[in-house]
Amino acid sequence: MIAPRTVLTRLLTHPAFILAAIAALFFGCSWLSGGTVQILTFLMLNILLAQSMNLLTGIAGQISLGHAGFYGMGAYASGILMKTAGLPFVVSIPLAAAIGALSGYLVSFPAGRVREFYLAMMTLAFGLIFREVVREWDDLTGGAVGLSNVPSTTLKNLSVFGVTLDAIDYFRIVVIVTAIVMWLVHNFIQSRHGRAFYAIHASEVAAGCLGIPRAGTKRQAYTIGAGMAGLAGGLYAHMIGYLGPESFDLARSIEVLVTTVVGGLGSMAGQILSAIVFTFLPEKLQVFAQYQFIVYGAILAFSLILLPRGLAGLLLLPPRFIKPASLRRAGTAGVAIRPVDSDRNAALVVEGVTMRFGGLTAVDDVSLELHPGRITALIGPNGSGKSTLVNVVSGIYQPTAGAIRFFGESITGLPDHRIAGKGLLRTFQDPRLVPRFTVRENLLLGAHRRYRTSGLAAALSLPSAVREEATFLASVDAVTRMAGIADVADRPLESLPYGYRRLVEVGRALLAEPRAVLLDEPAAGLSEAEMALLARMIRAMKDAGLMVLLIEHHMDFVAELVDDVVVLDSGRVIYHGDIEGMRKSPAVIEAYLGTSETEAAHA
Amino acid sequence: MEDFLTLLLAGVSVGAVYGLIAIGLNLTFWTTRTMNFGQGSVMMLCAMLTANLIARGWMQGLAILAALAVIVVLMVFTEMYTVRPALKIEGSMGWAVSTLGVGIILQGCAALWFGSQAVAFPDVIFSAVDNVVIFGVHVSLQYIAVVVLALALVVVFELLVRGTVWGRAMRAVAMDQDFAAVIGIPVRAIVLGSYIASGLLAGISGILVAQIGGTVDPAFGFELVIFGFVAAVLGGMGSTPGALAGGIVAGVLQQMVGGYISSAAQHGMAFALLILILVVRPQGLFGQREINKV
Repeated sequence: MIAPRTVLTRLLTHPAFILAAIAALFFGCSWLSGGTVQILTFLMLNILLAQSMNLLTGIAGQISLGHAGFYGMGAYASGILMKTAGLPFVVSIPLAAAIGALSGYLVSFPAGRVREFYLAMMTLAFGLIFREVVREWDDLTGGAVGLSNVPSTTLKNLSVFGVTLDAIDYFRIVVIVTAIVMWLVHNFIQSRHGRAFYAIHASEVAAGCLGIPRAGTKRQAYTIGAGMAGLAGGLYAHMIGYLGPESFDLARSIEVLVTTVVGGLGSMAGQILSAIVFTFLPEKLQVFAQYQFIVYGAILAFSLILLPRGLAGLLLLPPRFIKPASLRRAGTAGVAIRPVDSDRNAALVVEGVTMRFGGLTAVDDVSLELHPGRITALIGPNGSGKSTLVNVVSGIYQPTAGAIRFFGESITGLPDHRIAGKGLLRTFQDPRLVPRFTVRENLLLGAHRRYRTSGLAAALSLPSAVREEATFLASVDAVTRMAGIADVADRPLESLPYGYRRLVEVGRALLAEPRAVLLDEPAAGLSEAEMALLARMIRAMKDAGLMVLLIEHHMDFVAELVDDVVVLDSGRVIYHGDIEGMRKSPAVIEAYLGTSETEAAHA
Repeated sequence: MEDFLTLLLAGVSVGAVYGLIAIGLNLTFWTTRTMNFGQGSVMMLCAMLTANLIARGWMQGLAILAALAVIVVLMVFTEMYTVRPALKIEGSMGWAVSTLGVGIILQGCAALWFGSQAVAFPDVIFSAVDNVVIFGVHVSLQYIAVVVLALALVVVFELLVRGTVWGRAMRAVAMDQDFAAVIGIPVRAIVLGSYIASGLLAGISGILVAQIGGTVDPAFGFELVIFGFVAAVLGGMGSTPGALAGGIVAGVLQQMVGGYISSAAQHGMAFALLILILVVRPQGLFGQREINKV
């Protein structure tokens, strides 16, 4: 018995069904009434807009309350370029997309610096500024009166290469453009680029520590999303023939947001369903026009609460982020860890690192070294500065003083993604994975820094991109076998127990082909069996010549594995040596058990 | 010179109200790290209801009280049915979208009940023509009354927060909700209370702004919230004196730009200022940079 959701998903995502639907629209439109063709054209534009919003807000997690600004940017660009500058349609439309993309690129600089509701307010302000500028810049935009007589099918003065287009020709163009854009975006989302968007969405810090640059990734999301909105705007301009500021105000931004939220954030198929609902429903409910705003408000107020994954969550299977073609091509010849070439400089050297937060010194003049093929344990009581040190070394904090060198090169104060890019990887005390991704997708995130193919190659699904992905998928398979998680590889992470998440996170670091790994309490909360699997992974890292730093409280676990021990207390190194010596060290005993005096003081 | 002083006072006056709006936003930000994106509609509804009830012959004081009572009910509903359930959703997307939704519902309802045209707001405090002469300049009494009222509210608010058990309980909730719950503070009631107080401040701000501007329409709140947010961010999110100072800076800038450059530019100015301050100094003029704990 197959669930109805599976059936519907298979049908809607089947290439034959999609091609049939496009063909039906393309050829069938000549039998439809003019009004229906116009609504269908609107539907295509709404789909494009919803996909653009979905990419930016649903996938990359950057909430936008000013999307109509990008849309309007494209509409006015194409309208003005064609009407005033006399450029042909085939030039003005790509330019509309480019100008939309440029506006998104520019907005990403301020927007990339803020998050969450600050971002919501900022994008709201962007949308309002756009409207004000359009209203006031009379000479260019026609101001509040609007820009009329834009070459369009409505006015029958839109021609391409000397042929005057009618509404049906125009609809056909829009269908083809929409289909192509969706195909490109779909390929893009199912590549390392789309996964990087989602990784930024789930946790910027974790993404950065995998070598995914947050600023650059957000810039990409804004540019592509705004480019799509600009394209939709340009196509809108030549359908209607008139542009007024009220078509691009806050209400329009909210309409797009409503469509995207109801469709299901993150799901492309859901956006289509939702765009259909919100294109046809208002038409059918003309009588209730004055209630439309209230209905939209109600949908916004309650849909995320009642239906957090939207129509897509209700009707369809969750979207996946790996191309099936790559999955089919992945062989079984992958290697989990490749031995690292080592050279004279091969070491991670931490020299006199101090980290202060205001008046609090969390790490105080700490020095230590990691060497290839050696496991160093970093231990110490809670609050002794272990995690802070890892945060400094991995680039999340800028040290107050001190230097860090990796393979002879200074990495002090570099941003986290640059440090990860050099092969210095870390895991977190609380596993930071993408909950909606499967184990396989999460692991593949680790390989991000090793990809060489471009976003364009991914969007076009070129053989080189598919091949590259298949190679890494083979490594993913090897890692799942080594970590003992092969049987859950296609389960969403959020459905798995805690122990698996830890193993996935360590495995993910391995896929980055690291030269050094910093593991922050990897064994916390693991069962005996899981701990044995973890120990096997850590030993394999050692055998492959990696440098390993292991923060751990579990002494039996540490004793079995480590070569060196560094003990921190109150931010200072109080012991450095082997584990036997540590057990006898008076300083360590005092830090853990306290002397009689300090015991009395704490009692 | 007279122009300048008039603009300055108008700016301080409207800015003090922006400060009040910002304090309302800060209140819920303290207790739950959330903010009502529909706050503008709360302001609008309160002013609209007041104007409407007075037009029906209600006593002014009674009309204001009735409007504020409606706001209280509304804020309880907002907190219980749209903010609290949305906190389960990761990040701020959930509550930002759901409170925005409530704001839009209210705006739609107001347009339905009262029409979408601007309604004249009656002279509640002073008439627009009442004025006094200070340093040889005619100054509207309304402006002065608004400043005094806003400042008095800020002082009362600070005294309540600092001096009373409830104020201290609220600060405890702001520090750490779980801990506050453990030591027996009724966290739910405090959070609900912060929403109600936030709504009351917004409602009063709405009445004051409508009083200065003379009219109110269903769309009147959205830009005001942005001004309130500008004030809150300028002063550093969460700081009460900061909110007041930020509000006055924003108000004076707005009036100056409106008076000397163009009245059309004053809205754009606020939005641009918001973007600028978020980029350059997100912790605000008086706030401290938050350390992102990893």
